[in-house]
Amino acid sequence: MICKVEKIIQETPDVRTYRLKFKDDSLTDKFDWMPGQFVEFSLLGSGECTFCIASSATRKGTFDCSIKRAGIVTADIHRDLEEGDEVGIRGPYGNWFPVEELKGKNLLFVGGGIGLAPLRSLIQYAIDNRADFADFTILYGARTSADICYKEEVEEWKNNKSLKVVLTIDKPEDTWKEHVGVVPKILEEVVKPVIENTKVITCGPPIMIKYTLMSLDKLGFNPTDVITTLEMKMQCGLGKCGRCNIGSTYVCKDGPVFTYEELSKLPDEF
Amino acid sequence: MNLTTYSTDPAGLQSFYEAIISAHDTYAPVEKFGKYDFIKVDALSSCNPDSPIPKTMSVKPLFFPKSARVMKYKATSEGTELSDTEGDPLAGKRVVLGVKHCDARGLQVLDAVYKWDYVDTDYEKRRENTILISTRCNEASTHCFCTSLDYDVEKLDAFDVAVINGLDGKIYLQARTEKGEFFLKENANGLTVANGSAQEEMKQQFEKFAGSFRLKMDYSEINEKMKGRFDSAVFEDIPANCVSCNTCAFVCPTCHCFKISDEKLKDEGVRYKSYDSCNNVYFTLMAGGHNPRPVKYRRWRQRAMHKFVYYKERFDMNLCVGCGKCTISCPVNISIFEVVNRVASSMQE
Repeated sequence: MICKVEKIIQETPDVRTYRLKFKDDSLTDKFDWMPGQFVEFSLLGSGECTFCIASSATRKGTFDCSIKRAGIVTADIHRDLEEGDEVGIRGPYGNWFPVEELKGKNLLFVGGGIGLAPLRSLIQYAIDNRADFADFTILYGARTSADICYKEEVEEWKNNKSLKVVLTIDKPEDTWKEHVGVVPKILEEVVKPVIENTKVITCGPPIMIKYTLMSLDKLGFNPTDVITTLEMKMQCGLGKCGRCNIGSTYVCKDGPVFTYEELSKLPDEF
Repeated sequence: MNLTTYSTDPAGLQSFYEAIISAHDTYAPVEKFGKYDFIKVDALSSCNPDSPIPKTMSVKPLFFPKSARVMKYKATSEGTELSDTEGDPLAGKRVVLGVKHCDARGLQVLDAVYKWDYVDTDYEKRRENTILISTRCNEASTHCFCTSLDYDVEKLDAFDVAVINGLDGKIYLQARTEKGEFFLKENANGLTVANGSAQEEMKQQFEKFAGSFRLKMDYSEINEKMKGRFDSAVFEDIPANCVSCNTCAFVCPTCHCFKISDEKLKDEGVRYKSYDSCNNVYFTLMAGGHNPRPVKYRRWRQRAMHKFVYYKERFDMNLCVGCGKCTISCPVNISIFEVVNRVASSMQE
């Protein structure tokens, strides 16, 4: 399927959000997805990459992929892809956040850096269905204030009275008025979440995930109540090419969304 | 459906083969530089359906080619155009002669992954349109251990027609699938339906064959033991000599991992699907530098565990058919048989 790049938003020095619209209008209605699913994104000639859909289907018409310049194809995307250009899209693939299970629960989002992208699809979904959920907290950390993604939208979230938003950066900056310190520390010292009836949804760099899971464990969260989405090298997205295998699991089909409990049963390979 | 067994002699088998080659698109082992590869033939004299197992490459490329075009694209003033590639050269009706037992079994193993959830229709079509006729396996070669894995050569239905030696120079052609039954009926010219002693003669032949194996193992015990050996120190030791050439995966009848890549010329390009291997350091390397299997022993562990634990858990089959091709082709003589046996018998740390 061919999509047109409708808008490019420079989120941070190395992250851009590409807002995509189907060239064939009839696909816009047919293309439906759940928060947490991903697409295969082709810059034809450079290759194909896996990106989560960073927006919710409750805001249809377009969808977003937030892309960090990290490898060969993403460097080409940042360099060559301009508004109005066309890209190839396959998908949506993978499983999604268990939205039915989350209904009536307190939601605690813990995100770091570009890890906010997959959470954003669920955050938007939950804001658009706000009545379905109880307390709503977003803890988001980045290395520096410049590395915060979706700055305008984060401001909107802060102004939204029905959400609690806690922001943090790793080191102090002169103009920074929010918290300073790594995510797990702020989680324990500032957010101090209630455990009762709360589901945690987390995504971020491996090191943040590692320590956040330790903190959640220390706070007393049950591993079945902690949900994350895995990053794994993928190519086909169809459970064939073998790249995303962890044990007998295909991350592209059985994931990328897993609970901490499910992850702890897999061979230690991520 | 009743499956028929026909009887003939060496000369009759030759004419059976010749008739097939003249009537159908036929692939068979053809020698080149001492090795046999399955390619299209137009005369029996140019091929050898009884090619020696250790020197014959797998039939896998006839169904899952080393590199195949999957899509074309073109940038025009109207925008991007996507199109299918021109005709699949492997999709037509065809017959393959001289298929080894292990190789045919390998295709059944591939069926499981290519047909679960999303069906690879190219693969499916190639399988449906192909009649597989077996070679005569009389004796195991040095690295063969097919009979140790979970299938029975005597009842193997992975190929459509089995060719088996009987006593006193007799040769039996036995339909093993419905497709094979129809095929034999249509091509039975010069063959006679076998008499009652055929079954007994073939059984003797199988027993002789089964007794010729140097390598034997109890696969269910291996499966069970390996489950708990993820952290076995043997994994760190075994692949020390491995040069990560990936040959083992390319010659393997069951390895199916592939990569997708684009080739671009000005405003046009082609997307390819080509062989890849978990032994390749780039296999799981992610943009940004994170790699869950950054060292050789972890990649080897994935290879061994995928073959004897993970695939079994997922599809109830081993991802190994005991053909020994990887061992024969390995430049540093790593034997998968030895690897799994050493891992399985190692003490858990």
